Amino acid sequence: MNLQWNVVFDNWRIFLDGALMTVFLTVTTMALALPGGLLLAFLRLSPYRAVRLAATCFVEFFRATPLLLQIYWVYYVLPAAFGIQLDAITTAILGLTCNISAFNSETFRAGILSIRKGQWNAGLALGMSKGQVMGRIVLPQAVMRVLPALASTWVSLFKDTSLVAIISVPELSYVSLRLRAESYRILEVLTAVAVIYWLLGYPQAKLVDWIHRRWKIVE
Amino acid sequence: MTADAPILSARDVRKRYGDVVALDGVSLEVRRGEVVCLIGPSGSGKSTLLRCLNALEAVDGGTVAFEGRDIHAGADDARLVRRRMGMVFQNFELFPHLTVLRNVTIGPTTVLKLGTGAADARATALLAKVGLADKAAVHPAALSGGQQQRVAIARALAMEPALMLFDEPTSALDPETIGEVLAVMKGLADDGMTMVVVTHEMDFARRVADRVVVFDRGRVIEVGPPKQIFEAPHATRTRDFLSHLGWHGESIDIGIKEKK
Repeated sequence: MNLQWNVVFDNWRIFLDGALMTVFLTVTTMALALPGGLLLAFLRLSPYRAVRLAATCFVEFFRATPLLLQIYWVYYVLPAAFGIQLDAITTAILGLTCNISAFNSETFRAGILSIRKGQWNAGLALGMSKGQVMGRIVLPQAVMRVLPALASTWVSLFKDTSLVAIISVPELSYVSLRLRAESYRILEVLTAVAVIYWLLGYPQAKLVDWIHRRWKIVE
Repeated sequence: MTADAPILSARDVRKRYGDVVALDGVSLEVRRGEVVCLIGPSGSGKSTLLRCLNALEAVDGGTVAFEGRDIHAGADDARLVRRRMGMVFQNFELFPHLTVLRNVTIGPTTVLKLGTGAADARATALLAKVGLADKAAVHPAALSGGQQQRVAIARALAMEPALMLFDEPTSALDPETIGEVLAVMKGLADDGMTMVVVTHEMDFARRVADRVVVFDRGRVIEVGPPKQIFEAPHATRTRDFLSHLGWHGESIDIGIKEKK
């Protein structure tokens, strides 16, 4: 087989730009989806039924439908139905953020519910408000407990950003597929992009494992 | 309020969980400086009453007043009362993500808005008082059960409470560490702290309590000084309960028991 790896090396700049866009999408989405997920989790734990119901509908919609479809939907339905025209990158971030917020909210909710009632009672017995108990006692423990779950969402997100290639966001997958189409070097280009994803993704997963070991709360 | 007025007064407190009646009209008064021990079989309502006294549980009927304030009037009343009422739990419930020092300072800094310096000084003094000055920097998981419970006592004392509630503070402890916790509690009682103690430690109740309250099936069946409760209980159920625990009054005065 005649392999021509120079198609990869000659176009390093395209791969770099694509990788930077992938990292940008991942970081931006997670930066929005962590507070978004937390907010949804609080809404789902609200004492008000209507609030709980609305948040549950949001979460279950985004968890139970394909991300690909959600991105398409935001890109095509929002402009057609509501006259809201967003550029491709904003659309990508919006779609990804809604989806990841839904998953994060379930993670946070599980973490918060896993903290036993006695911890609440201990905080309340000191005269703390419910908000203080949540912020100072329950949430810090809950977050540490669900850090591994958040980390796997992060790693999934890093790879799932490739789905926004369908709306022509120039991230790593999109630029690679285009280069493949232009150069016809399918094996070289796709192998290179797989290697780049792995080189970027694996250290992230390891880093989070380390953070978890380092800061784990022992009971 | 006069010196003789009760600091804590529960009247006809009722509490049910579904069909189970946990408290069936319980009244209790506690005076300043008094140590009251609540004893009785498991499930008789002692711990439930304790949680009603600082509004961790809502009551279904009756009232609880602390320093003249109705505890169950609203969330703000409950919070104001809890600042003045410390609580120690069976399972310690230290905050595992905080160091021992921060476990003790978190109440003063968040609730009393005390500065870190003042809170640290207060916590350090209290940790010394419970014999754990050298453990300030470690996390609770590194401590034995008895040490954890002593930190929990220091945590409650850091709020400078007017009254302390103890919910079976030694029930989750290894036998060899029970004594160190009881010694701290005895020291508190000797200092004049007002205490309500749910306990299965009959020897502690006999030696430290001013009054002993016997619970059975959600009711108070007998109240009296320890001498009466342990040497000459009026209620048959009290006698049954004590003998079930293996308490026959032999460590006090066999003569009285034989006369009966």
